[in-house]
Amino acid sequence: MAQNIPQVQNTGAIKSAEFVKLTIFNEYSNAANVTTHTFSSAYKNETIDGDLYLALGGLLAVGSQNRDLRVTAGDTNISLSGVSGNNIQVVLDTKIRGSEVEVWRGFYDDNDVLGNSYLRFTGIITNYNIQEERSGTDDNFVVTVSASSYKTVLSNRIAGRKTNEESWKVFNPTDTSMDNVYSIAGVQFDFGKEPTASRGGGGGSDGRRDGGRQQQR
Amino acid sequence: MSGLQTIIDNCQGIEIDRRKVVGIQITRNEVARTSETPTFNPWKLNLTMPARLRYNEARSLMEQLDVLDRNTPQVVTFGNTSCLSWIFRYQGTLAPSQISTMTVSSFIGNQLVLTNLPAINSPRVMFEPNDLIQIGNYTFPFTSTTQVTRGTGANVTITTNRPNIISGGVVGAGLTVGNACQFYMFCPNMPTYKLYPGGAQYSAGGTLIGNALVEFTGDFQLYEWVATA
Repeated sequence: MAQNIPQVQNTGAIKSAEFVKLTIFNEYSNAANVTTHTFSSAYKNETIDGDLYLALGGLLAVGSQNRDLRVTAGDTNISLSGVSGNNIQVVLDTKIRGSEVEVWRGFYDDNDVLGNSYLRFTGIITNYNIQEERSGTDDNFVVTVSASSYKTVLSNRIAGRKTNEESWKVFNPTDTSMDNVYSIAGVQFDFGKEPTASRGGGGGSDGRRDGGRQQQR
Repeated sequence: MSGLQTIIDNCQGIEIDRRKVVGIQITRNEVARTSETPTFNPWKLNLTMPARLRYNEARSLMEQLDVLDRNTPQVVTFGNTSCLSWIFRYQGTLAPSQISTMTVSSFIGNQLVLTNLPAINSPRVMFEPNDLIQIGNYTFPFTSTTQVTRGTGANVTITTNRPNIISGGVVGAGLTVGNACQFYMFCPNMPTYKLYPGGAQYSAGGTLIGNALVEFTGDFQLYEWVATA
């Protein structure tokens, strides 16, 4: 969707800062149980969309993000300081993979006061990396998290259910449609013919063995 | 001798760097376009030391520099000696007693508003460009970017060189100006030192107590410690 950004219109000079929000879901079954970390490259703490973004959070860099007219999959990296902060603890001691990431860009006026902010990227953390850079007496730590856009996540998603009793009752426990799948799996049928008593009888050619086949949707 | 303050007091050259984080592009038809991130914009001072300190007189300084190393900040000032106090001398016309009565009304972005102003004539200059202003005990000096006169209002507004980076409350805080302002700096490259023969000194009894001059291996690149601003 096209975005109207007055701060960059009719001017050759813009002032902006980046704001990163990391939402960690602590419980699989409880979406409300989250821990939020916010970082920014701004000179002071700023509130965007109700969230306070910390200027001293240790944001080092935000990778590039693809901007295309059509929906395309894009990944980005976010680097955080691992020096005298809790960022290493954040990635090692929390359920960081699968966390949601938002990257905002905020625009400042001539008096360095934050105006409008715009959401640039939404995705989930797919990986993290802690890098120690030690050279002589220089010793630094950098925490990098990799985030994939939702397009990538959806492309890699396998969804559906199996045509057996167990899978069928996940969504509706009273659904008995697949209760007999186990008993008839492997049985060959000649449709229209009286069924035989023993399994494996028959001899027709249109038997169906789909007890474990996935139904894509 | 006191660490970085001694270096400032004895240096033979100072380079002041207050450049901001900007991106500059020039289009094909030579139109310049810029982007800027309003950062903490820390003070960066590059100090060049002469190789003239006698080692036996500078041993305490060496120890203090080694203790500070590359990761410990220290409060320094340019008003310590008369040889340096002119660098950031206050250029306005207010007396110290008049400065001490003024307080901060608000400080949003780079707009510093002062109140409790002295009763002086409206054309009187309160701040000249490059005058240092320190708010309360926050050792993170700002500069006035323009000439500020008293005017007739109850407040005056100063456009500062950088936005308000102070996380604590500043409303009602007093001011320090000029060379009395303090800087909170550390030296991330803390140069090492080398001794070479020279400057022999003898005790009253004729014992050789020192025969070396101290030469630093590079400039002192001081960087403002804004993490506690």
